[in-house]
Amino acid sequence: MTFRWDILFRSLPYLWEGAQMTIRLTTTAVGIGFVIGTLLGMARICQYKPLRTLAAVYIDFIRGTPLLVQIFLVYMGLPQLLSFPMPRLTAAILALSLNSGAYVAEIVRAGIQSIDLGQTEAALSLGCSNAQVMRYIILPQAFKRIIPPLGNEFIAMLKDSSLVSVIALEELVRRANIVITRTYRPFEIWLGVAFMYLIMTIAISRLVAYMERKLKVDV
Amino acid sequence: MFEIHDLHKHFGSLHVLKGITCGIAKGQVVVIIGPSGSGKSTFLRCLNLLEKPTGGTIYVDGVNITDPKTDIRRVRENVGMVFQRFNLFPHMTALDNVAFAPLRVLHLSKDEARERALDLLVKVGLGDKADSYPDQLSGGQQQRVAIARALAMRPKAMLFDEPTSALDPEMIGEVLEVMKALAEEGMTMVVVTHEMGFAREVGDLVLFMDDGIIVEQAPPEIMFNCPSHERTKAFLSKIL
Ligand SMILES: Nc1ncnc2c1ncn2[C@@H]1O[C@H](COP(=O)(O)OP(=O)(O)OP(=O)(O)O)[C@@H](O)[C@H]1O
Ligand SMILES: [Mg+2]
Repeated sequence: MTFRWDILFRSLPYLWEGAQMTIRLTTTAVGIGFVIGTLLGMARICQYKPLRTLAAVYIDFIRGTPLLVQIFLVYMGLPQLLSFPMPRLTAAILALSLNSGAYVAEIVRAGIQSIDLGQTEAALSLGCSNAQVMRYIILPQAFKRIIPPLGNEFIAMLKDSSLVSVIALEELVRRANIVITRTYRPFEIWLGVAFMYLIMTIAISRLVAYMERKLKVDV
Repeated sequence: MFEIHDLHKHFGSLHVLKGITCGIAKGQVVVIIGPSGSGKSTFLRCLNLLEKPTGGTIYVDGVNITDPKTDIRRVRENVGMVFQRFNLFPHMTALDNVAFAPLRVLHLSKDEARERALDLLVKVGLGDKADSYPDQLSGGQQQRVAIARALAMRPKAMLFDEPTSALDPEMIGEVLEVMKALAEEGMTMVVVTHEMGFAREVGDLVLFMDDGIIVEQAPPEIMFNCPSHERTKAFLSKIL
């Protein structure tokens, strides 16, 4: 039994295209998730009780159900409900974004709550509105603090995005499956795929560490 | 400037302010003293509604701020506050800290706001620290920036909650100097402090608070030399 490097190498360009899809998916999902999460995170601690409850229910639902089920719900459930066709890519991005939003919401909430109450009081005492306090005082400080957990969320999402292979979206895992049905060399391919994920996640943690250092300097 | 009538504050079942009535005239410097937990901070924070009173009325410059219809933000624009732990905005330079409220609350232009901020930093002796971030400043410098920040709104009155308690002893003087200068300009000031020297020298009136009420109020020379209440005597004998 030999390790067939040649087969792995020949598959690399094809797999790399899959990896690019994985990166695009993840970046888009976390990007949209960040917007959803910021709004949800603020809703989670706002004065208005119904909004707070709504946000909490959403977050609990997402965090308490498997991502796989959420993907099926969006890809197969929504088209049935709304009777329009759902393209794979849209379904994948939608499912991953909605999922990411819930996790980011908790990160944002924790970030906001970690800011000393004295900051809010100082801003209020100057005549700021609650919205101004949030926008100019709390969020800028909170965002700096949540960069490390956001990095973790990014890494988790990068790995979890492999689940959308079940709806035949050609990201890294899906393409690996396709290569294997052609080559019958699962060990080489899966090991190669594992390393591709590893390289991506290491790159992200490096980037996060760099941003953290960079932002500490001018504070 | 302040007319306070039968002010009460409860935190849940805890009755912290138990009926405070007093008046503070324009230009007066009032010093509040009293044991820990007596409600000094709570009283001060009621004056700009950082705490919401649960009973009584407060008039600030003729406006009833305990009336729910009153715009709280308007009131706060006119009453500056300085905190024990400075509470400067750590993500802004000293200049931006001071320019923040004129820019965002008064909607001055960027240039006007910065000019006003720089003038105030010069006034508190920190013109050369405009571009420093709070964590690059000493405690005394931070507190002076915080005073400048509050002054940037051109308030009619200033509240100080133990402004020197978090400072190393060698930095207390520089902050008190700034406050003294402010008092001499005629600013109405309400100061919670343990600095009896400051109270004597600058204060027009000293309030002694204990257990949620004003036990005694008198000019400093009377308060410190011949207090009339037992509780005041007991407290003063401990700190003087
Ligand atoms: N947000 C709050 N919730 C509940 N209790 C509070 C709150 N703020 C203050 N208290 C209580 O109210 C009482 C008075 O507190 P306050 O801070 O006004 O006292 P103080 O005279 O300023 O004391 P110190 O000299 O220690 O600052 C204390 O018993 C305190 O525990
Ligand atoms: Mg206090």
